[in-house]
Parts: sequence; C-alpha cells; structure tokens
Amino acid sequence: MFEIVLEDDGIVAVEGRLDAAQAVKAQTFLDQVEGQCVLDLGKLEYVSSAGLGVLLKTHKRLMGAGSGIKLINVSKHIHDIFRYSGFDKLFDIVPAGN
Amino acid sequence: MQQKFKRNFNELKNIVTMTESVFRELGLQPELRNVVDLATEELFVNMVTYNTETKEDILIEMLPHALGLEVRLTDYDVERFDPTNVGTVNIDAPLDERTPGGLGLYLVIKMVDSIHYEYRSRQSKISFIVDRK
Repeated sequence: MFEIVLEDDGIVAVEGRLDAAQAVKAQTFLDQVEGQCVLDLGKLEYVSSAGLGVLLKTHKRLMGAGSGIKLINVSKHIHDIFRYSGFDKLFDIVPAGN
Repeated sequence: MQQKFKRNFNELKNIVTMTESVFRELGLQPELRNVVDLATEELFVNMVTYNTETKEDILIEMLPHALGLEVRLTDYDVERFDPTNVGTVNIDAPLDERTPGGLGLYLVIKMVDSIHYEYRSRQSKISFIVDRK
C-alpha cells in the first residue's frame, strides 16, 4: 500500500511503502509540485532506492527553482537509509518526535 | 521457504508477503525486516531491469541461518553479472552531482552482513545474510 496526498495545510503526506512498484505514482504526484515542498514521512514504512530517486529528482528540480524539499517526521529506520545514501547531507530533515 | 516470482515490479508486494511469513515462522526480530526487504527488492529489481535476455521466473529462497537469515535469489538463463562488484557511489557529492541511479546495489553492500555471488550454467545466484546482531 502506498499513498501520497496534499493535506489541507499544504503538507504532502506520504504513507506506506515507497518501492520500485510505487515510484512512478510518487514521481507523477511530485512532478506537479511547485515551490517549497514539505513531505511528512511519519507514516512512511519503507523506502528503497527507487523511492530515493524520486525524492532526489524532485529536490533537484525544486532547488533549481530556488526552493526544495523538507522532510519531516522521519523515523529512525527511514533516516538510516537516508544516512547510508548520503541524503542526510542533501535534505533538510526533521526526525520524528521533534 | 522458496517461491518463484514473475519478472515484474508488481511482484514486490508478494515478496513482502513471503518475507512476512518467513519472519513469523522463524520468530526473527522485526528490526531486521527493513534490511531484508531493501536488499531483496534491490537485487530483484536489478535482475528484472538488466537481465532482459530471459523470461524465466526468479527464484527467491529464505532460509534460517545460524547468524540470522539467509536470502538467495536465482536468475535463470542469463549472462554473468556480479552485483557485489559494482562501483562505489560518492555519497558525499553535492546535490548537482548526484543522480538517481546506482544507489540500490550500493545500499545492499553497505547494509547486509555478508553477500556472495556465483554463476554456473547460465544461472546467476546472489545470496546474502542478515545477522541477528
């Protein structure tokens, strides 16, 4: 199961498993986003390199336009993946519980 | 437990179901799931994406191991490709030098406790072990 939706407060909520089978769905959604993008990953259970690729591509596009992606509510095991891939140096990340 | 899967990303949900079942049967720590899921997906996706010369299903075996869990993926009637021998990724590169590809196998090598590749009779078998810690 994977869902990505724009909440009333302008935050994009991501839920479930962002794997290679769901990457196109995520990319299609994020390609529509303009300006600063806040992604709430509080309900994201799993992300693979396909999902990381979606985040990276979108972040680069938005950074090129002077904004970018901020990741909030990031759980420990998702943060571990970001750390192993060096994404903790590329993204503004707010861990869960902060 | 072993199961064959079609060469389609939509099989990932069925692989997850298999992994859930194995973890339940073996009483493995849930903390190991993330690494097992990620390594299995990355290796499966790599086979589906690059071993396009075959239409054979991919065999996945999950076996109890003294240290934790051993996972084997076997691809049939394919050319040799050793995923343990891929180049490294510069994770310290600035954003404008980073590209979406190439991270998957790098993450597998970094996250599993051991990994082994063998190629025989046009069968490509990759196995990895995730330690109980």
